[in-house]
Amino acid sequence: MSKATVKARQPELLLAGLLRYGTWLASGVTGLGLAMSLVGVEGDQVVAAGVALFIALPVLRVLVMLGAFLLNRDYRLVIVTTVVLMTILAGLVIGLSLSNSPAH
Amino acid sequence: MGGSDMGPGFVLWLFAVSLGASALGGMLGMAGGIFIVPILTAFGHIDIRTAIGASLVSVIACSCGSASPFLKGGLVNIRLAFVLETTTTLGALTGVLLAGVIPTAYLFMLFALILALSARQMLTRRGETAGAATTADTWGWAGALRLDGSYPDRGQRVAYRVQRLPLGMLLMYGAGLISALLGIGSGVLKIPAMDTALRLPIKVSSGTSNFMIGVTATASAGAYFLRGDIDPAVAGPVALGSVVGSLLGARILMAVSNERARLLFAVVLVALALRMALSGYSVSLGGPSE
Repeated sequence: MSKATVKARQPELLLAGLLRYGTWLASGVTGLGLAMSLVGVEGDQVVAAGVALFIALPVLRVLVMLGAFLLNRDYRLVIVTTVVLMTILAGLVIGLSLSNSPAH
Repeated sequence: MGGSDMGPGFVLWLFAVSLGASALGGMLGMAGGIFIVPILTAFGHIDIRTAIGASLVSVIACSCGSASPFLKGGLVNIRLAFVLETTTTLGALTGVLLAGVIPTAYLFMLFALILALSARQMLTRRGETAGAATTADTWGWAGALRLDGSYPDRGQRVAYRVQRLPLGMLLMYGAGLISALLGIGSGVLKIPAMDTALRLPIKVSSGTSNFMIGVTATASAGAYFLRGDIDPAVAGPVALGSVVGSLLGARILMAVSNERARLLFAVVLVALALRMALSGYSVSLGGPSE
């Protein structure tokens, strides 16, 4: 395997670790909140934080790859990744703007 | 659906059924999300929109939890994943906007249809369509974005080319839309997109699809979460059960006979399809979903 190939695989290994530990963290926080509720301590907010962490994990992976493509000066993929990020952000804005609508 | 009145027994039930659904799905290398919504609505009497929100979080959890071996094994075409995610997330956004206006009865019916299609897909063998392609893709996008790749197979690197990218992206838009509407991974649309349009090797197709679904589901789950449509009291136990289940399912994968498991799954999918259609019918008559 050439040096270039090894270098190209670095973001993949970084992502692999990030997703593994991120999943553990989100699971841990969710589990803690559920355990608190089971023993009678108010844990709803902790569970909500765990769920939010799960939802945030993929955003983190988009950000990591955006950084990696920028470092490699791979500008076409920088544009592609930015479009994905913007679409996710647009979803968040839509979610916020609809949160007080009468339909919900 | 208030979360505060749910007792410990209900939390454990949610955890257990999600674990089971996710382990079963993992055995066949698919997300368990497609089982979660029918089980929660039919047996847990949970509102279908709450079930969809919880299922989306579970889809993300499974995608993130199982991504590591795919990434380390070099089975994820990250560049292609991001190019396809431009349309899956756009589809998800469309789904978020549509979800608010689609009548509940239609959601049940659409779910029944997707379950039936998945059952059919389960029974047809996935043939290896990839090969040393000679035809260049007509629009030249795959080349410009350097999407072709290679993956390790029995000690060798096998090169493959990405074909018919525009068709693949169009199908992916549909996959994102269905994912956001029904809270599933949309394997039923992604598999034809990956196998038939893009002609990826099955290993790369599975790894890339697993990697993509997390980002796709986040585009809709983030919106639903901020809109207040995701009930953490349901989504929390479901996500946690799914992570544990997907870890178990990956281990059982080797142990069971593939053909029998496929037949069993097809039967379960058809049964769930009938159940969802029935619920949709009673909802459309104005009765309760039960």
